[in-house]
Amino acid sequence: MFPQFGATADTLSKASTMVFRIGTDAHLYDDPDDVSIAPLLDSKFDSEKCEALKRLLALIAQGIDVSNYFPQVVKNVASQSLEVKKLVYLYLLHYAEKRPNEALLSINYFQKDLGDPNPLVRAWALRTMAGIRLHVIAPLVLVAVGKCARDPSVYVRKCAANALPKLHDLRQEEHALAIEEIVGKLLNDHSPAVVGAAAAAFASVCPYNLSLIRRNYRKLCEILPDVEEWGQIALIGILLRYVIASHGLVKESIMFSLQCTGSSHSVKDGPDADFGQVKESTDMDGTCDYEFVNMVSRCYIEGPDEYLSRSSYANRESFELTGEQFTSGKSNDDVKILLYSTSPLLWSNNSAVVLAAAGVHWVMAPKEDVKRIIKPLLFLLRSSNASKYVVLCNIQVFAKAMPSLFAPYYEDFFICSSESYQVKALKLEILSSFATDSSISSIFKEFQDYIRDPDRRFAADTIAAIGLCAQRLPKMAHICVDGLLALSREEFVTKDFGFGDQEAGILTHAILSIKSIIKQDPPSHEKVIIQLVRSLDSVKVPAARAMIIWMVGEYSSLGEIIPRMLNTVLKYLAWCFTSEALETKLQILNTVCKVLVGATEDLLTFKKIFSYLVELAECDLNYDVRDRARFLKKLPSSNLVSIGQEEGTNDLPEKDLHVVAECILGRETRKVKTESFSYRFYLPGSLSQIVLHAAPGYEPLPKPCSLLLDDLNVPEGTSEIKKRAADYSGTDDYGTSSDPSDNESASDYDSQHSVAESSGSARGDDSEFTSEGNDNADPLIQISDIGNASENQNGVSQSGPANLGELMSDRALESWLGEHSGSSNPGISEQSQVRISSARISLGDVGKRVKPKCYSLLDPATSGNGLKVDYSFSSEISSMSHLLVCIEVFFKNCSSETISEITLVDEDSNRALDAADKAADVNQSCLASSDNVPTLVPMESIASLEPDQTARRIVQVRFHHHLLPLKLALYCDGKKLPVKLRPDIGYFVKPLPMDVEVFIDKESRLPGMFEYTRSCAFTDHIEELNKENGDSLFVKDKFLAICESLALKILSNANLCLVSIDMPVAANLDDASGLRLRFSSAILSSSIPCLITITVEGKCSDPLNLSIKVNCEETVFGLNLLNRIANFLVEPTLS
Amino acid sequence: MPPLMGIEFLCRVSDVLSDYLGGLNEDVIKDNFVIVYELLDEMIDNGFPLTTEPNILREMIAPPNIVSKVLSVVTGNSSNVSDTLPGATGSCIPWRAADPKYANNEVYVDLVEEMDAVINRDGALVKCEVYGEVRVNSHLSGLPDLTLSFANPSILDDVRFHPCVRFRPWESHQILSFVPPDGEFKLMSYRVKKLKSTPIYVKPQLSSDAGKCRVNVLVGIRNDHGKTIDSITLQFQLPPCILSADLTSNTGTVNILGNKTCSWSIGRIPKDKTPSLSGTLVLESELERLHVFPTFRVGFKIMGVALSGLQIDKLDLKTAPSRLYKGFRALTRAGEFEVRS
Repeated sequence: MFPQFGATADTLSKASTMVFRIGTDAHLYDDPDDVSIAPLLDSKFDSEKCEALKRLLALIAQGIDVSNYFPQVVKNVASQSLEVKKLVYLYLLHYAEKRPNEALLSINYFQKDLGDPNPLVRAWALRTMAGIRLHVIAPLVLVAVGKCARDPSVYVRKCAANALPKLHDLRQEEHALAIEEIVGKLLNDHSPAVVGAAAAAFASVCPYNLSLIRRNYRKLCEILPDVEEWGQIALIGILLRYVIASHGLVKESIMFSLQCTGSSHSVKDGPDADFGQVKESTDMDGTCDYEFVNMVSRCYIEGPDEYLSRSSYANRESFELTGEQFTSGKSNDDVKILLYSTSPLLWSNNSAVVLAAAGVHWVMAPKEDVKRIIKPLLFLLRSSNASKYVVLCNIQVFAKAMPSLFAPYYEDFFICSSESYQVKALKLEILSSFATDSSISSIFKEFQDYIRDPDRRFAADTIAAIGLCAQRLPKMAHICVDGLLALSREEFVTKDFGFGDQEAGILTHAILSIKSIIKQDPPSHEKVIIQLVRSLDSVKVPAARAMIIWMVGEYSSLGEIIPRMLNTVLKYLAWCFTSEALETKLQILNTVCKVLVGATEDLLTFKKIFSYLVELAECDLNYDVRDRARFLKKLPSSNLVSIGQEEGTNDLPEKDLHVVAECILGRETRKVKTESFSYRFYLPGSLSQIVLHAAPGYEPLPKPCSLLLDDLNVPEGTSEIKKRAADYSGTDDYGTSSDPSDNESASDYDSQHSVAESSGSARGDDSEFTSEGNDNADPLIQISDIGNASENQNGVSQSGPANLGELMSDRALESWLGEHSGSSNPGISEQSQVRISSARISLGDVGKRVKPKCYSLLDPATSGNGLKVDYSFSSEISSMSHLLVCIEVFFKNCSSETISEITLVDEDSNRALDAADKAADVNQSCLASSDNVPTLVPMESIASLEPDQTARRIVQVRFHHHLLPLKLALYCDGKKLPVKLRPDIGYFVKPLPMDVEVFIDKESRLPGMFEYTRSCAFTDHIEELNKENGDSLFVKDKFLAICESLALKILSNANLCLVSIDMPVAANLDDASGLRLRFSSAILSSSIPCLITITVEGKCSDPLNLSIKVNCEETVFGLNLLNRIANFLVEPTLS
Repeated sequence: MPPLMGIEFLCRVSDVLSDYLGGLNEDVIKDNFVIVYELLDEMIDNGFPLTTEPNILREMIAPPNIVSKVLSVVTGNSSNVSDTLPGATGSCIPWRAADPKYANNEVYVDLVEEMDAVINRDGALVKCEVYGEVRVNSHLSGLPDLTLSFANPSILDDVRFHPCVRFRPWESHQILSFVPPDGEFKLMSYRVKKLKSTPIYVKPQLSSDAGKCRVNVLVGIRNDHGKTIDSITLQFQLPPCILSADLTSNTGTVNILGNKTCSWSIGRIPKDKTPSLSGTLVLESELERLHVFPTFRVGFKIMGVALSGLQIDKLDLKTAPSRLYKGFRALTRAGEFEVRS
């Protein structure tokens, strides 16, 4: 009515907000470019510069690119005003990567500022300088950081520590050592603030270099409570890793509890007094889920991916924690001091610190002390939904591993209506996982309230949780079922009124819970089934109906009453069939069929109902139903109950088909894990534990006691990794399964080993191998059985790789052989039999014997004036660019005169360009873009080559095509000689080490058009065999000889990784059919995996027929590679 | 990086920003974008927190205040970036600015408690606990060393401390010994569990038939603390199956918001009558009876009492200056106070 009043009010409110905005930078944000910025930047007043910079910041904030002001802004670095400096730094960091050349202009000013008396100026200069991520200035930054690490000001030293990860991110190998040295120095700093930042730097720069920690472990522990909170988080993690790597796990801790129950290793060091005590106390508690804890602790140490992939096949026990890898928390001072210094942190104000400290106690603390983490963790629950979720995720694992820990505090997991759905669902899961007889009644009371919650999804989850509780505590089963039944009846009220999925979900969950409870003990719940069946008429939700109908079929012969009801029920089902939903229809068909199979009386009625239903179903609109009907019709009608039409045509015994029918109709014999809980565990507090996959940068705990006293001076993490590899093969479980009675064959194989042994060990000369008590240091062949071996072998499964000799004497092998000859079941196909009875072997030393093939680049006779140039493809991977292939070039002077100035260049390139300059260019650009990669990275030229002298160079070449040769120019003595470099597609790949399981998994994902096969003949082994026959070796070795010659041939011609060799353990020792070699690789340029499988057919002594299969996403490449492999396999080896 | 570290850091950033800007919303950030940039640059460096201590930040980058605003309007020039490095960055007590001087030495200690309670459908108290904070506002010259002790520390279920609190005295004697930061800060937070009663009661009754639901909610004071209970509010979310609601109360005002949130603000409970909310809810047409029930969230405030029963015994200053003024206050609010119906 009075619009003008409204307008006034509007302006008034605007005016009032304006008042608040006076004096802020609001006007700069609103109209950043209402004045021209450039002259302001050049102004001689700091205030005007400031204003200009603020306007630029406003533009950046609004997403406008203002990098064109860069030169003018950079000039202002020299300003004395700190505000100007700060603003310039903000601008600079934002655009430095975009304008690297101009950014270089500022370096001088930074270096001047680094000498400034004001520590703030020094710190800012260092931070900004390190923040400009340019490779060129990295050396300068390193010097600056080194200088600032000795600065008198704590703040500057802290900034120096913070600058180290920035430097490390540039990935310049040559600086790695210097960076680590500075980290070590800063860790030793006396100021807690610096130590915290240094710890963070350590964690991101050199997390493996735990010897740095060893030097001042005690000091770090003592300083820990005073370190600032963010540094504490990093430092706690480092200290935990160090203690585990140097002292191993703690005997009294949860992580040890399993090892003491079953493992023979721990019994070995039984005399320890502490040990017996612990065992006693764990038995008394009886609260730990041992298998679960074991899984958790293994996942912590190995990382779940590794652990799970390994445990999926038989050598589950190959990694065994030995008694020596444990220490006592009571006697070990290092452990004690860590626990002592982390315990006050449980009171920290920072929730991340609390969780990190709780993690240390969880892993290291004696069992009886673990409970001190409970209250702090529960306290964390009173915070934002996000952190609540994170904490709950961690509590979930703790509670699952040790239910007694949190069970008394169940009230803390009761749900508030204001929480997010995810938090509620997690709390429900935790509640149902540790409910005990004493707490269950109050928990159920809560659950009853939750069912009425307006969030129906949550209510449905509650019902599922009730089902879980009832399964855990069978005492409660009856009460639960009654409650659920009442609920399902109550919900019928709402069934029709389209409240949609949510109410339906509740009903379905209720029935599902009832179903799972019944499954545990069907006879005692007979009445429940009857009640459910009676309510069938009122249940309208298809999924729920289908489940009830399933129960009818499943328990059709249970008790007295149900069989008598069947007649009516089936008639009812037949009557309402047409109006049912799809899943119900399918279930009705199944159920009727099941009843028919199991029925003893009333057969005629059932048959009639069945044929009526099948007729109906065959005309159904849905093809699934039609298919099911046709299938079921064939099944019983032809054999099990002779209806008459097709009688007698089948020659299989009736009984067998009866079994088949039973199997098909889903008598669930296998127990399916219904728990949604994941079996992947990551360290407490880590991101990976929340997302349940290994997040980038996640590292499992180090192997216990992997830090040896003697590697104090090892610089890089490589030694650690090497050691890990050694640990794997070193701690294998030998001996327990070997049978000494069969000494004869064992010694025979020993002699064979000593022949092969001369080629040397491929896996290092660690002392671990000598501890085997076997005089050959390196087993040539390792055999382990394949995971999907038939079930009856599980009892005697050989664990871990073992010596062939030992395996030969093993009963397991005999049982394989026996089983193979004995089994004559025609039902199993030949293919699967081959798979069942095969062993996996690996060749220990084949890598050493690989000799890459040499090609001639320049022949001394024809055009080379006496210079002989040969090249071979190297298995090295270029560190500069993934497009480059490394080639080893050998120069030899065959003439009688000195040849000087030899160099190899790209034919097209300009020779005038200085080689060194170019190399620097390449260095810079290789990260930037792949287009800039040159055809040939210039090699270091050979100044002069004396007669008969040889020289070797590595050149890195980028081939433009897989098959076409590359034209290069060779300069020597000032003359230009054109040469051609022929590519070898076998070296356009790099080895991609992987597990067999991973290999097979990957292979299965590349079917059809990504799979190419070719076959070819292979003869190389014959010569080998003849040679070996002369040495009067055993017949069985033919396999070995074939494997070796085949693997050697392939590895000498292509840069692959040998994944596995599957060897048939067949009755016929002369038949090599079924021998299978797997190789893996990744294409250099794209890192696409490329998998090669070679299967052998034919007799050992004859030429073999190989079928080669390549699985690769890149079709053209894969085909070319396949052809190449086939070609080189055919051509004879030059010896 | 651990996820909690990220969450915790973001909380700190939001705390610092709202402390600087007096609130946190888009407009405020836009208006002070330069300060926000400068603060963020100081708080995080290469993805790792650098300086998060509010005292140091305040010294490095001055918060906007009236004086600086006026100054900038008048002279068109004022820098909020400090020229010198705050001394505290180097000290081992980074939370305390170096050597402030005050004419009057004052310390105020506030106990601020929030009561979390859940009352289930039967009216039984399922969970009742208090989450409390000890807030200290100190204006002390020099380097004061304070000790604070409670009369009944045993009731505390669990505690968390400001970094200034020394752990060992607490471990041995339950004494808080600390060098306080300057100004206001949260000294500790604590939790007291398993309390037996709540100060007020809320009795909702919902009875439904024939497509209608009668609601009647009574609110009253249970046991008198001698202190008045202030700003009592009641909030609940109407279930989605409700078409319309007609609710009236005998005291206070009832509002039903667009998202079916109903809030009833009572304020103080009058002497002469018991506040009650009553009315009818109309259910969706097919629905006979209500099958889901709302949860009532209660809010209240009691000045001058800490419901947990925690009592401060004494506060001592080791290096006693000439005159020290000490003040104590207490306050209890409702936290997650829920009544299910």
